[in-house]
Amino acid sequence: MEERIVRFISALRAGGVRVSLAESADAMLAIDQMGIKNRDAFRLCLKSTLIKNASDMPIFDELFPLFFGTSTIPPFLNISNDLTPDEARSIAEALRQFKEQLRDMLERLLKGDQLQPGELDQLSEMIGLNQTNDFRLQELMAQRMEKALKFREVQEAIQELMDLLAEMGINRERIDQMTKLMRANQQSLREQIRQYTSNRIAENMSESRPEEGLNGLFERPFNALSDKDLDRLRKEVQRLASSLRTRIALRQKKAKSGQLDAKATIRANLKHGSVPIDIRHKDRTLKPRLIIFCDISTSMRPCSELMLSLIYSMQDQINKTHAFAFIDHLEFITPDLNNKDIRGAVATVLRRMPPGHYNTDLGLSLENFFDQFLDKLDNRSTLIVVGDGRNNYNDPRLDIFGNLSHRSRRTVWLNPEPPTLWGSGDSDMLRYAPYCDSILQVSNLAELTTAVDRLLS
Amino acid sequence: MGNPPSFFKSPQEVKNALGKNQYIANEEIATIMFLSQQLGKPLLTEGPAGVGKTELAKAIAAATNRDLIRLQCYEGLDETKALYEWEYAKQLLYTQLLRDKLQETLGTSRDLGEAADRIAAEEDVFFSMRFLLQRPLLKAILSERPTVLLIDEIDRADAEFEAFLLEVLSDFQVSVPELGTLSAVHIPLVVLTSNNTRELSEALKRRCLYLFIGYPTIDQELAVVRLKVPDLSPKLAKQAVEIVHSLRKVDLRKAPSISETLDWAKALVSLNVKNLNNETLETTLSVLLKHESDLQRARRILKRSSKDLLIDEDDPRARGWSN
Repeated sequence: MEERIVRFISALRAGGVRVSLAESADAMLAIDQMGIKNRDAFRLCLKSTLIKNASDMPIFDELFPLFFGTSTIPPFLNISNDLTPDEARSIAEALRQFKEQLRDMLERLLKGDQLQPGELDQLSEMIGLNQTNDFRLQELMAQRMEKALKFREVQEAIQELMDLLAEMGINRERIDQMTKLMRANQQSLREQIRQYTSNRIAENMSESRPEEGLNGLFERPFNALSDKDLDRLRKEVQRLASSLRTRIALRQKKAKSGQLDAKATIRANLKHGSVPIDIRHKDRTLKPRLIIFCDISTSMRPCSELMLSLIYSMQDQINKTHAFAFIDHLEFITPDLNNKDIRGAVATVLRRMPPGHYNTDLGLSLENFFDQFLDKLDNRSTLIVVGDGRNNYNDPRLDIFGNLSHRSRRTVWLNPEPPTLWGSGDSDMLRYAPYCDSILQVSNLAELTTAVDRLLS
Repeated sequence: MGNPPSFFKSPQEVKNALGKNQYIANEEIATIMFLSQQLGKPLLTEGPAGVGKTELAKAIAAATNRDLIRLQCYEGLDETKALYEWEYAKQLLYTQLLRDKLQETLGTSRDLGEAADRIAAEEDVFFSMRFLLQRPLLKAILSERPTVLLIDEIDRADAEFEAFLLEVLSDFQVSVPELGTLSAVHIPLVVLTSNNTRELSEALKRRCLYLFIGYPTIDQELAVVRLKVPDLSPKLAKQAVEIVHSLRKVDLRKAPSISETLDWAKALVSLNVKNLNNETLETTLSVLLKHESDLQRARRILKRSSKDLLIDEDDPRARGWSN
């Protein structure tokens, strides 16, 4: 049993759930308490100790029955047993009309034979199920298996067979009955295949090694990433953002200035007989505030999803974040990012502002900001612009940008293009540059990491 | 350090005890609550606002006859507000009042050294439990009686506070430099709640059992309404709960939760409503929905479907509710 649980946990890990050693130990402890007789209680033991995110629940619910399920395949019915000799002869004759493979399948359906383990293994080898460890592919695999077993052709063949039998003079009622039973058997086979594929994938998941390191991913440009890489990058970005938070906290402690904190001062100076030698200040004023403009136009599309993920994570960590996205005009996206999981949030934003043929216009976007949201920006805010500065020859509105930059504490520009391309074509990067405190190139994760690090220094 | 007294012997017992305290728990809640008691691990409950996370802690305190100590988290909460603080004003006041006595003590001393020694000997007077202001966490640890510690809306507190909490929750002891280490008399039953406005740290999650409380099924919610608002007629209660469930299917800014259903049910009782028609819906809907845009949207939808909503059970939407 323990081994089964351990396998289950590694399958969970392969499914993207983070389960620590301490948590699996807790699971065992919980099971000691509750026993394994009551399946529901057992499930809850595992669930409450292993799953700590509501978003991980679906994968748990999917995997649990596969590992601890009482899988029952619907019964197969043997039709050939209660055939009259006459009917049997007719069927045997009719079957000769079909090609070999179809004949085998039809006979199988008549006899109600289920697929043997050996056959299943062979099939899974054939369709590449052995290498699959992703649940999303389960339906696809099952369909491939059905195709290999010629399910659709068999469906037609059943009809043909029955027509032949009708010609041979077997009565209609009997034929209808047989058709029904054969169809039922086929359905059972389908069920068996579904169960086999999901079990097989679960086994594969439990055997798969934990994800290999992020080597190489760090240096790969954002627009050369596959979906899976993106997934892992997203996780990495999240981790990045939370490590950021601790760093911010440290900096806050070091950088104390502002109002006198009377309580802390008295406490600190008790040792000096309440003579205020060591003055303490409140540190609230130094909390970071971010104003982020993110370009999600076509030219930025390859990396905009990641950038939005980063913004999402930053907003998660830093309360006073106001995020805006722009293409030809500005949209306030903070509400979209709140109270949603990261994937959904990013998708919402990208859906709301689909790429199109309109012009990127940072100038107008800046004007929008100036008119509507200027109160969000003050001398404590850090202004971050994520974009390539390609403005489609629109007015860059340097006056507004200069003004905003002047009002904010710092202005940082994150640009995915290398400096050699700045100023080429419709890029206004060099014109914006004088107003920025720093411009950082971020075309891969390594650069993003350094950029984020510099951002809050 | 004693083990927490195990008041419950089975999840069923938890369920019954909670039921007696006006909290209808499903198998999941009862079992995980029981596990939390057995393993001595904090219970982290997450879910939408108003589904009864805080209520669970209150009910379990009442059911086990423990004191409930509540720590409401907010941004900027720190140790002095959560754990303990010296009462400086009181200390200063005492030094003033005791000046004469101090003079007396010091007066007879021959030299400075001796005076200092005497003061040092009296030091304990000023750094004693007398001047220690106990905040919720310390109170829960030092309490003579077993307690339930409710840490409410932990996601609102800063990340640093979360880290600090880890230490307290794993050892149930606190070190006060002037007094030494204070250990728990009884390990409290800890319930943390979170509305998931931000991700909690892995470390904190790892130390807790996790319980997600979602919206209840129609039957469960009906049972809750019947229990808490017994004056509402069964037929009306059923209609009301069904409408709430249909509203939860709509994409609203803030979906109505159980607490809002209860408020609504109470409103219907006090308005002496006999049946739910468009008019009463129109006037009372604002109890259920708290955003103007939600209200308008819900009104449109309810008006459109009010007939089949209330009468036609075969409506595909109506069937959707029962799952």
